[in-house]
Amino acid sequence: MTVKKIIFIIGSTLLALAVFLAGREAGPVYLIRNATIVPVTGPQIENGSLLIENGRIKALGREIPAPAGAEIIDASGQFVYPGFIDAYTHYGLAEIAAIPSTVDVREMGKENPEVRAAWAINPFSVHFGTGRVNGTTTALVAPSGGTFPGISALIKMDGWSLPEMAISETATSLINFPMTPRPAGEGGAAPKETTEDVTSKIVDKIKDYLGEARRYLQLKALASGDPKIEAPAYSAKYEALAPVLDGSLPVILSVEKAKDIELALKFVREQKIKAVFRGCSQGFKVADKLKAAGIPVIIDSLYQGPSEPEDGYDAPYRNVVELARAGITICFSSGDDPSSGKDLTYHAAKAVAFGLDRDEAIKALTINPAKVFGLEARLGSLEPGKDADLFISEGDPLDARTGVKAMFINGRKVDMSNWWERQYEKWKARPIHDRP
Amino acid sequence: MKTRTTIAIVGLLVAGMAAASAASEKPLLLRNGNIITVSGESIPGGDILIRDGKIAGVGKGLTAPEAETIDLQGRWVMPGIIDSHSHIALEGDVNESGDLITSEVDVKDVINPQDLNIYNALTGGVTTVHTMHGSANPIAGRGIVLKLRWGGSAEDLIFKGAPITSKWALGENPKQSNFSGPGKARYPKSRMGVEASIRLEFEQAKEYARKWREYERAVEASRARKGKSPAPMPPKKDLRLEGIVEILDGKVWVRCHAYQSEEMLSIMRLCKEYGVKLACFEHALEGYRIAEELVRDGVAISVFADFWGYKWEAYNTMPHNAALAAKRGVVVALNSDDAERMRHLFNDAAKTMRFGGLSELEALRTLTINPAKILGVDKRVGTIEPGKDADLAVFNRNPLDPFTVCQMTIVDGKVLFDRDKYLEDRKKAEEAAKAKDADAKAPKSETPKGEV
Repeated sequence: MTVKKIIFIIGSTLLALAVFLAGREAGPVYLIRNATIVPVTGPQIENGSLLIENGRIKALGREIPAPAGAEIIDASGQFVYPGFIDAYTHYGLAEIAAIPSTVDVREMGKENPEVRAAWAINPFSVHFGTGRVNGTTTALVAPSGGTFPGISALIKMDGWSLPEMAISETATSLINFPMTPRPAGEGGAAPKETTEDVTSKIVDKIKDYLGEARRYLQLKALASGDPKIEAPAYSAKYEALAPVLDGSLPVILSVEKAKDIELALKFVREQKIKAVFRGCSQGFKVADKLKAAGIPVIIDSLYQGPSEPEDGYDAPYRNVVELARAGITICFSSGDDPSSGKDLTYHAAKAVAFGLDRDEAIKALTINPAKVFGLEARLGSLEPGKDADLFISEGDPLDARTGVKAMFINGRKVDMSNWWERQYEKWKARPIHDRP
Repeated sequence: MKTRTTIAIVGLLVAGMAAASAASEKPLLLRNGNIITVSGESIPGGDILIRDGKIAGVGKGLTAPEAETIDLQGRWVMPGIIDSHSHIALEGDVNESGDLITSEVDVKDVINPQDLNIYNALTGGVTTVHTMHGSANPIAGRGIVLKLRWGGSAEDLIFKGAPITSKWALGENPKQSNFSGPGKARYPKSRMGVEASIRLEFEQAKEYARKWREYERAVEASRARKGKSPAPMPPKKDLRLEGIVEILDGKVWVRCHAYQSEEMLSIMRLCKEYGVKLACFEHALEGYRIAEELVRDGVAISVFADFWGYKWEAYNTMPHNAALAAKRGVVVALNSDDAERMRHLFNDAAKTMRFGGLSELEALRTLTINPAKILGVDKRVGTIEPGKDADLAVFNRNPLDPFTVCQMTIVDGKVLFDRDKYLEDRKKAEEAAKAKDADAKAPKSETPKGEV
């Protein structure tokens, strides 16, 4: 082997290694300086610095010496927040609502506990880019529709592939509770449904289904230990419910009205499932019961009126305020339309306008959902060792008048350009008096 | 539950009705407000004097001993918000979708003064709305401007003197792209057909108008000959074509639902050709692309702040649309098209500052004087100036602040929404309901009170 050949082999090995390393998560080292840092779980740091290394927050405080090779980011007059977590979305499952070929939100039928959002999320949906503009770095992506919509995924808002984005491909299961119709003569509901308790009947059906799944799992367990017992035919649906029934997989249970929430509380107790409620637009009427059950609540889009007009025009906002005041862990979500994903912060701002403590609102966008999804060791606050998911904003991130200037996900600087910005840049340049 | 319901509803309605009926002739003096006039400089610590529903004075240190006084305690006052595109206060469905052209229908026939959305709009500082037919037809029915005089009759709601509008629609809705099922297979199915159907209708209307002119001339001639020649037969009356004739005569202002820039340019050419008054494109999600042409033809746009992406024609846009078009000289209004979004319009205006960089004043113009101009009511509403209608919205903070709450809404000098009063009424209603519940649960006494 000639010296030339050896040099060539060593050289190309080093090159390959360099390319490999460059493509890895580790990424560059960033030091953000002169910022007002809002760690959420600790006191605000004025004129603070935050060091990002190996995809994690390495340190934060008043003075942090710059390591060799660190990229220094001057954030004078700006704020650093942990990335926001959107607790219920359809990101990557729905592109253009009116075009069915771009929508993968729901499967046929009512009972689909086995389908997973993670199997269908499109990491290149345009809505990830536009959804990030107000600071969202993590989102729960849920399927919807029917009684058992499937299994949600918890994902980072940036990445080259879904497995790379996914924090958990099986974050929660989901159950949609029925909604009690309004009594006849008070508008909105079919009168024939008022004489019988339709809601309870549907809840009984949900219980029956879970009962069948339990029997299936019991029979299967018996059969595995006893060759004389015939195992039941494989059911993907019942298999998917196993972690729900043993309480290891949380369930997001969508429920709105006070009466239905009480039914749902009873249901959760009886079924011994680990539940997170979503919606709860009349939660304020039963806040003490929700609190006693220790069930967190994911607030839906606040671009909606009261679930019953007599609750008052401001019921959706008052609801959030009173749930938080009762000590219930609340999370915000942008809801059903990923094109409105950025509105996450507007919902939080609206609740603050009507009396929610602003710090509580920020918690409901960060550490609360991190806890609810069991990821407080990695997400939801600025602390050394946590994932470097954070953003720099020019003002209050709840203020629609100002925006996010820079964002990091897994310690990687995210490209804040998006579909909107690209069009804006293009058309801003159209000359005036360009055409006759 | 039912009792509580009734109490709450009565509470809400009574608040509205009482306010409406308290139409005292007494002047009203709003003192110590942070007044955003929109027409000129803002006046911190300013007063507004209202007489007979009109603004009688704006400035500092106004006095009117005979007036009822409200101390605003430094709260912010802006002109009542005008929503130039909505479908509230109408009974039932707003689309007559079975037929291609439905210029004979009129939303005036279905005004519903009891629509709770009127009250909800007031809670968001909205005082005037343009309410319209839907977008199922290339040329649909007539629209109307309403003042949100909650508690009044259908007739009371009508904004007298505002031009009548004609609702048109281009693109996916009239060609029924996103609807399936029986009865959804009518012509047109393409943008070509949409425009062709408008042209065809114009030609038929011109012919119809010509026949009537001929008939009228013949009547004149017959009269001149003192009945010596037989009286002519009148042409068959066609209400649909009469609706088109009034468009061709420029008697109604056209409000054209459109998303794509090229279909807008095309319909602008058509309107020029027939001499039609095209006032405004509705939605105009690609309006930013053709700002120059819109300015040239004097066509305004009424847009969402950031609602987008729900269908293909709503995809090529961005929240900068309003600001970019406005900065290039287009008259831009922010609208809701939705009873819920309507009460968030002041939040929407704030977005135009970040997306496209409008100033505070420019942002507020999109909710006030701009929609007033688009609706032809700018001499009456849209700014806080002496002589204008006393339509005002009061906020606890700058209306563009993310944490602002509308506190009071005044229409024609009458307080029709008052958050303080609402909270008071709500508390009373809830306490009464609680007492009633407790009463119902308490063991019944042997001899009920009041019985002998």
